[in-house]
Amino acid sequence: MSGSKPDILWSPHHPDRYVICDSELGLYRIGPVGSAEAKAGTLPLSEETAATLLAINSDTPYMKCVAWYPKHEPECLLAVGQANGRVVLTSLGQSHNSACKELVGKEFVPKHARQCNTLAWNPVDSNLLAAGLDKHRADFSVLIWDISSKLSPETSVAAEKIRLSSVDLDSSTVVTKPLYELGQNDACLSLCWLLRDPKLLLAGMHRNLAIFDLRNTSQKTFVNTKAIQGVTVDPHFHDRVASFFEGQVAIWDLRKFEKPVLTLTEQPKPLTKVAWCPTRTGLLATLTRDSNIIRLYDMQHTPTPIGDETEPTIIERSVQPCESQIGSFAWHPSSQNRMVVVSATNRVMTDFTVFERISLAWSSTTSLMWACGRHLYECVEDSAEGVESMIEKDIATKMRERAQSRYGHDTVQVWRNHLLAGGKDAQLKSLWHDLFYILSVSHMKQCAEDMELKLQGNVQSVVYSGIKNIVKTTSGTTESRRCWIGSDRQTDVLRYHSEERCLALRLCGWISRGTDTDVENFLRSLEQEHEWERAAAVALFNLDIRRAIQILNKGAMAEKGDLNLNVVAMALSGYTDEKSSLWREMCSSLRLQLKNPYLCIMFAFLTSEPGAYDGVLYESSVAVRDRVAFACMFLNDAQLPRYIDRLTLEMKEAGNLEGILLTGLTKDGVDLMESYVDRTGDVQTASFCMLKGSPGEVLKDPRVQCWIENYRNLLDAWRFWHKRAEFDIHRGKLDPSSKPLAQVFVSCNFCGKSISYSCSTIPHQGRGFSQYGVSGSPTKSKVTSCPGCRKPLPRCALCLMNMGTPVSNCQGTGKSDEKVDLTRENKLAQFNNWFTWCHNCRHGGHAGHMLSWFRDHTECPVSACTCKCMQLDTTGNLVPSDSS
Amino acid sequence: MEKWFMCHYDELTKTVEQDCCLTLHFKTLKCKFFSLTETPEDYTIIVDEEGFKELPQSEHISVADATWVALNVVSGGSNTSTSQPIGVTKIAKSVIAPLADHNISVFMLSTYQTDFILVRERDLPMVMHTLSSEFTLFRVVNGETVAAHNLGVTNGFVKPKLVPRPIIHPLSSPSNMFCVTSLDPDTLPSVATLLMDVMFYSGGQKESGASSEDSNHIRFFSFSLIEGYISLVMDEQTTQRFPNNVLFTSASGELWKMVRIGGQPLGFDECGIVAQISEPLATADIPAYYISTFKFDHALVPEENIQSVIGALRTESAAQ
Repeated sequence: MSGSKPDILWSPHHPDRYVICDSELGLYRIGPVGSAEAKAGTLPLSEETAATLLAINSDTPYMKCVAWYPKHEPECLLAVGQANGRVVLTSLGQSHNSACKELVGKEFVPKHARQCNTLAWNPVDSNLLAAGLDKHRADFSVLIWDISSKLSPETSVAAEKIRLSSVDLDSSTVVTKPLYELGQNDACLSLCWLLRDPKLLLAGMHRNLAIFDLRNTSQKTFVNTKAIQGVTVDPHFHDRVASFFEGQVAIWDLRKFEKPVLTLTEQPKPLTKVAWCPTRTGLLATLTRDSNIIRLYDMQHTPTPIGDETEPTIIERSVQPCESQIGSFAWHPSSQNRMVVVSATNRVMTDFTVFERISLAWSSTTSLMWACGRHLYECVEDSAEGVESMIEKDIATKMRERAQSRYGHDTVQVWRNHLLAGGKDAQLKSLWHDLFYILSVSHMKQCAEDMELKLQGNVQSVVYSGIKNIVKTTSGTTESRRCWIGSDRQTDVLRYHSEERCLALRLCGWISRGTDTDVENFLRSLEQEHEWERAAAVALFNLDIRRAIQILNKGAMAEKGDLNLNVVAMALSGYTDEKSSLWREMCSSLRLQLKNPYLCIMFAFLTSEPGAYDGVLYESSVAVRDRVAFACMFLNDAQLPRYIDRLTLEMKEAGNLEGILLTGLTKDGVDLMESYVDRTGDVQTASFCMLKGSPGEVLKDPRVQCWIENYRNLLDAWRFWHKRAEFDIHRGKLDPSSKPLAQVFVSCNFCGKSISYSCSTIPHQGRGFSQYGVSGSPTKSKVTSCPGCRKPLPRCALCLMNMGTPVSNCQGTGKSDEKVDLTRENKLAQFNNWFTWCHNCRHGGHAGHMLSWFRDHTECPVSACTCKCMQLDTTGNLVPSDSS
Repeated sequence: MEKWFMCHYDELTKTVEQDCCLTLHFKTLKCKFFSLTETPEDYTIIVDEEGFKELPQSEHISVADATWVALNVVSGGSNTSTSQPIGVTKIAKSVIAPLADHNISVFMLSTYQTDFILVRERDLPMVMHTLSSEFTLFRVVNGETVAAHNLGVTNGFVKPKLVPRPIIHPLSSPSNMFCVTSLDPDTLPSVATLLMDVMFYSGGQKESGASSEDSNHIRFFSFSLIEGYISLVMDEQTTQRFPNNVLFTSASGELWKMVRIGGQPLGFDECGIVAQISEPLATADIPAYYISTFKFDHALVPEENIQSVIGALRTESAAQ
């Protein structure tokens, strides 16, 4: 601090005053810029604030350290530690009021002169001023002065011995007898009073940190360390202390003082100042030499490190308050995160506020909160309608609703899952239909032995591997030229047939079984769903132009039918295969104006050259399955795989679930699903879909496991515990490897064997543990003894019956409130028979009895046991938010 | 662990002055331990390894044959800090006497801040063995204090009997009084020329003036700079040449008188000399300050105690 290196002290009680000390003391007042009192001497500190120099004190040369009196009165009293170890009380800018006058000028002189390194006022007993001095072979280095001590008697004794120094001493203001002398033959580099007890003083001594207790000065607690400079207590957490050595800061917990609880990353340059923020918990600012940044460490999340191994996480930030190199800084005592910084040279000051980190949190539903400083904000959309629609569109809301409607759990009519999902999403509809066709085809293969398709290899895996792989293996394709149905006219359209193509058509849902190309069933179902245009297109592609016209007529006449369909039907009926006819010319140009893509592709088909169907194949608003089915019918062996590959790539990139038809549940399918999840976040659909992939390879994919785990976590976060249990059961059925092994067994008190285990080893005794939770049927055998040693099983603490005995209904406790609703009670009845134990006191009994006991009691039912079993169960008080 | 070298200059040479300039800029050097003591006979310099490399080769320098290791008793390491006598006296019984009992030669250097006991590096295992019974020993490695383990060495000797230690060497007590003082390292540059003048150039003149008045007057000056701390021992009159407030002094302004030990150069092998002096002082509870040099030993005692000290020591030597 002497010479060039300045320091800053904020007034403990005036939030607008601070002192800069370098070779002299300067008192400044900080205020808004341009206020009435703005004068020539005002120094701008920031855009809003400026400082005015109020007073200068240069009475005390050789300053080494300064400390500001902590109490209100007398205000602006400073203690200055000098190079020769003397401590002088001085003041700044004070009219000479009496309280201060007595003290100002008072000097505290150590027996042997050496540098005073540090000063610390006791925050409670503010008469006490601790001074830390350099080493002397025959003297103490920590002296605690009482500033109110009466002056005379010691000085007279000392005066006779004063020879060298008596000249410059005014003996009336000199105190030579400290109240306490600590740390003999040692050096003290830093000091601070502990906030947890004002009688404790923490000192950074030469190579150790020591805690002195003024009640018993012969005792001290100490720890050997290098980090002995700049000890400072966290004002918000009184057991936490920071100290430093060269470039490294050590954080100590006084309750566990043997070693630092953590050390911060070492800086290349030595540190000069370390200070806890007084207005925010756990924020430590550090400054190194020749630096223009202040490094901040946020220990917000780690107030109490537990155990040895926990390495707390710290958020490290740097701020640059000004361009020049920083000499020192000081936190404002009350204004949040604010500090004044003084440059290393020229005494340029900057008023600076550290901007608070913003932390953001989504709830498991849809609300968003963020916190900044002491404010908590909830994110709300401006218009209420906007919010509703936004929330409805949000995938989390959708997933939540779908989870409640048992989406994904229809394993028989798989396609119905898209209705459970709300039935609005075309991609989901397509997906679940794809899966339905895949499953029904593979199911049929398994059960019915009608091997119409003599495919090589495992039919099942081929079915799962998607049309892309199916058409790759296509062979034995035949081509046929057929007549328009109901007409003799030969078409010039080539249609291709093969077993693989047929299978693909089945996966597309166009035909249901057999090699027969009969699409009548499909057309009828489309008619039922009022998909007239699509039905007409499918009929047309099957070369039944008459059926197509018929469908369109039907559509026009149906309720709310579109009369334009009649017009289209008329246009269709005028079809001619003359290459240069007016019909053909007009249709090929006007078709583009048709809004319905299916109508559009119908004319595209009729007007295009054979084998060149780009107008149909690349009409992206037509469902993929229809385009693929069309391709399977009309593209040759060379064109078909090329088209399918191209379409697959397009689907994968877009994350379009319709593409699952092409990829199947293969690695390609996972890739596609990945881009779908990236786009939508819908882990729910991804999880359910991939669970259907029975080959198992896809389930081993880490991405799939990740989706499944995330979906489970999501259900947990929503407190949909029943849904999660259902999902886990569902998952266990489809993916047996996911079933966790039993890790907890009930063992017999006497022989120590697991009673459920020994049960399962004896096959005739039934199905494992379920037998012990007796279902209430009196005819079932009840096992009330250990199957291993035949000793009785433990008793219920309430009914005193052995485990394995069902709950009798005439139990007194809680009988009255058991008439709530019957369905619920039935479900609970099973559970009531279960046995449960407290892990702490090991008492227990029937779950039903225990639940009703703890409804009215806090302590264990076993007499003389004071265990508060229920309170130990942290999840016991949570309620699921889904109905079972 | 740092090692120290001891050497002395026969006469004042230009090289010494250069040395001193180097050491006054110690902060740029790696040398952490530097001590220079001027006696009428010679200059004794103690430096650490880094500093030794800086010393010029000269036929005027004789270097003690062994390397030395400094021991320092840190009271902070112990749990209790009861009121103890100070300085060499404090450690006389606990450290110096046991070392003397085990025939370990020591070299004492007291400073303003603390007392260093230098022992030969080769004696170190023995020293540790001797002291481990009474002290917790720490080894300073790169500034970090770590507990040192007993090396498990015994010297094979039976523990010597505690015989009374008579004073063997002749004593003398010069008439002038000394100040033990220090100064703020930041002010060192401002007094550097003065210091050099005092050390190397003014001694001769002064002696010529003073010796005529008082043949018993001794020229003695000690300067040490150890880990950034400065320590000075100088004649009271010399202190007058320093500006006010530069030298650290005690509030009581205590002055010291010297007891000089040895008629012939003492050498480095004889042990027990320090113990002979310090034990009687400890018994009498008189604080003392002890500086060994290349040839002789010097004990400083408070001025008011000099008569009783001389009395006590004479009794000891008479007792033989």
